[in-house]
Amino acid sequence: MSGRYLLRRTGLILYTLLVVSVLVFGITQVLPADAATMLLGENATPEQLAAIRERLGLNDPIWTQYLRWLGGVVTGDFGTSMRTGLPVLPQIAEALSRSLLLAALSIGLMLVLALPLGILAAVRRGRPVDLLVSLASYVGISLPEFVTATLAILVFADWLGWLPPTGYVPLTEDPARSLLHLILPVATISLILVAHVSRMVRSELVDALHTDYVRAARLKGLPERVVLRRHALRNALLPTITIVALDVGYVLGGIIVVEEIFAIPGIGRTLIVAVQNRDLPMIQAGALVMAATYCIANFLADLAYAALDRRIQYG
Amino acid sequence: MTTRRQILAGATALGASGLPATLRAQTATPRRGGTLRMSVDQAVAKLNPLLTRVNPEYLVAELLYSGLTRLSTDMTPEPDLAERWSASDDLVTWTFTLRPDVAFHDGSACTSADVVASFEAMLDPATASPARNNIGPIAKVEARDPRTVVFTLRAPYADLPVMLAYTNARIVPAALSKAPGLARLDREAVGTGPFRLVSYEPERQVVVERNPRYYDPQRPHLDRVEIVVYPDPTAESSALISGSTDVMMLALPTEFARLQRASGVNALRTPSGQFCNVNLGCDTAPFNDVRVRQALALTVDRAAMVDFVAEGFGTQGNDTPLNSAYTYYRELPMRRPDINAAKRLLAEAGHANGIRATLIASDRPAVRTQLAVALKEMARPAGFEIEVRTMPHATYLEQVWRKGSFYIGFYNMQPTADGIFSLLYTSNAAWNETRWNNAEFDRLIEAARSTADTARRRELYGQAQQLMHRDVPSIIPVFFDLLAATRSYVQNYKLHPRGAVFRLDHVWLGEGAPRRG
Repeated sequence: MSGRYLLRRTGLILYTLLVVSVLVFGITQVLPADAATMLLGENATPEQLAAIRERLGLNDPIWTQYLRWLGGVVTGDFGTSMRTGLPVLPQIAEALSRSLLLAALSIGLMLVLALPLGILAAVRRGRPVDLLVSLASYVGISLPEFVTATLAILVFADWLGWLPPTGYVPLTEDPARSLLHLILPVATISLILVAHVSRMVRSELVDALHTDYVRAARLKGLPERVVLRRHALRNALLPTITIVALDVGYVLGGIIVVEEIFAIPGIGRTLIVAVQNRDLPMIQAGALVMAATYCIANFLADLAYAALDRRIQYG
Repeated sequence: MTTRRQILAGATALGASGLPATLRAQTATPRRGGTLRMSVDQAVAKLNPLLTRVNPEYLVAELLYSGLTRLSTDMTPEPDLAERWSASDDLVTWTFTLRPDVAFHDGSACTSADVVASFEAMLDPATASPARNNIGPIAKVEARDPRTVVFTLRAPYADLPVMLAYTNARIVPAALSKAPGLARLDREAVGTGPFRLVSYEPERQVVVERNPRYYDPQRPHLDRVEIVVYPDPTAESSALISGSTDVMMLALPTEFARLQRASGVNALRTPSGQFCNVNLGCDTAPFNDVRVRQALALTVDRAAMVDFVAEGFGTQGNDTPLNSAYTYYRELPMRRPDINAAKRLLAEAGHANGIRATLIASDRPAVRTQLAVALKEMARPAGFEIEVRTMPHATYLEQVWRKGSFYIGFYNMQPTADGIFSLLYTSNAAWNETRWNNAEFDRLIEAARSTADTARRRELYGQAQQLMHRDVPSIIPVFFDLLAATRSYVQNYKLHPRGAVFRLDHVWLGEGAPRRG
């Protein structure tokens, strides 16, 4: 891997982000209603709408608005929220930090659980352990987050009283309480991820265990542990990494339901609120952050590919 | 003279004694101290008190800021920054006297100049404050001396002291009342309220603590209040039941039974003037014919509407926007469903073969859709073929609201009868959705505005309700009760029928309250 490759990749990511910002800006223009309408709701009078549009600069041509926004971003100024009047950047950073914490814990837990479970099921294919893991992951995949989350709250908070039902406490404010509040949301998200990834690991590993090179390795007299780790698993993990990379994106943006139920104001919720209120600067910044996360996660996945499979080289 | 004194008597008497009624009536001595954690269902997106629009924002504004008057639970005005007031005989000139020695959070004095500047900001169209249309026909606000403010009105207006308690009519420092200073109030709070701001995060929580400079040394009883945002209603109830929170601002009917069963929880309920209605465009066929409107109203089973739309937590509406929560409500015989009479009226109006119409409902709140679907079924036997179209709230606001002639509306209770009538139903109403434009009705409302005599006003508003009940500019089948809950150690929290008033400065924590913070 060369420096030129890294540079090209970074350029590509920036280009993607630019395209995303144009697309998102364009789409918001097609949506019915604007920030002024949403701000005033059923309180609006024409003169108030006009006053607010004037103040927010919504009367300018679209391209003027876009260039004004882009000019700000290039100089590090993401503007102020049309809804709250607060600066965008600290809010997005705050929301992202919460989502990242949630994502890191969930993905960590997933890796700790999904890999061993998937391997165990593949190695013991057709046995009771395999059936149990498969069944559990079916349940995990088919139950939507809002069901598992609500059930978890009812059981662990309402009935048993072991954990706080919802709410978010920053790590900096009270680390112990913060982690206590994170247990249920992390468990909810991990359940789905584990189900997802362990099934992937299992099916890939099952395929790999039936390949010629694994048979060759076995015939060579290698111990089963080495066959598994050095030959089968290494190849089975490649597609799994793609899935994990996509899951990182999912955890950052797709867990709005979990963020909503557990009252965690993360990036997903911030973006939904921004879209509902046609809060352009917040929508733009939120969409950029999400797009950047996907880009970076995929980039890292590609690097991991190369590390696992020597045949893959980037130049 | 005696008549006008009647309206003012209550307020001035309270001003003299210096203690609000709720506090005097109380038997137990309030305990001082503690942190109250209250959950709300929406973000506190606006901190600026002149621009707040939803209940959690009103709550925070009420903690941090004061008005000239405030609304007691029986909908009468009581002194806040103004300790007394009086009106000229023609109700056009009103004089308010401020408390002495009131200070803002930053220590600067709050004088009549700040009051004048605040009202000028509310009335300035560039501020876009909802107060502008809701605090009465104010022509001019002047400071006579540092403690006296004089309002000159464009027309006589008996309700001024009540309307000055409006949610957005808060006093801010003169220096911050205009751009660019006004923008600072999006981030910080400089008010005269019972609490001052500690931290503010729109989507998560707002923390306030006791304002040591508050004008009443007795209040607030609490040291600290934390307002926490819970977007999911089930999770919000769970937080209260498990003791993570102390007060839940608003409970859904679907959660209420669970809260009633929970131990250590007081479930609260009060009838309110909040309603859902069906707006009929009185200038557009077929609803320009009063017989068609009456026919549709006759198909509605109001008891069933309360059960279906409000899940039983409501009262029946009689096609006027007032119910028992309003002072000037007149009880008229409830309109009962009568399909044959409805068919007859339709036939007389030339629609013997029935009417087809598309009823539009926004998807927020969900009761709008429920009402639309119920009406469709109830009206069918009389010959109304109603097609229900639901749409996202944003689309509704842009395309249908105030433009359509057959759609579902949803309104909060207003402090006065005049507030709701002149907001929605007079010809010059700010949101004249029905285009009813009835001269007789306008005259009655106008006359009631400029009358100080309570009995006479009662008569005028009674006639106005009768007229509306007969003419049906909009079908109002159901009023919603307000539901909430507290932990049982929370003392003196009263659910206010208006829905937008909370008075947490009167609340204290009794035996069994947990230590927080």
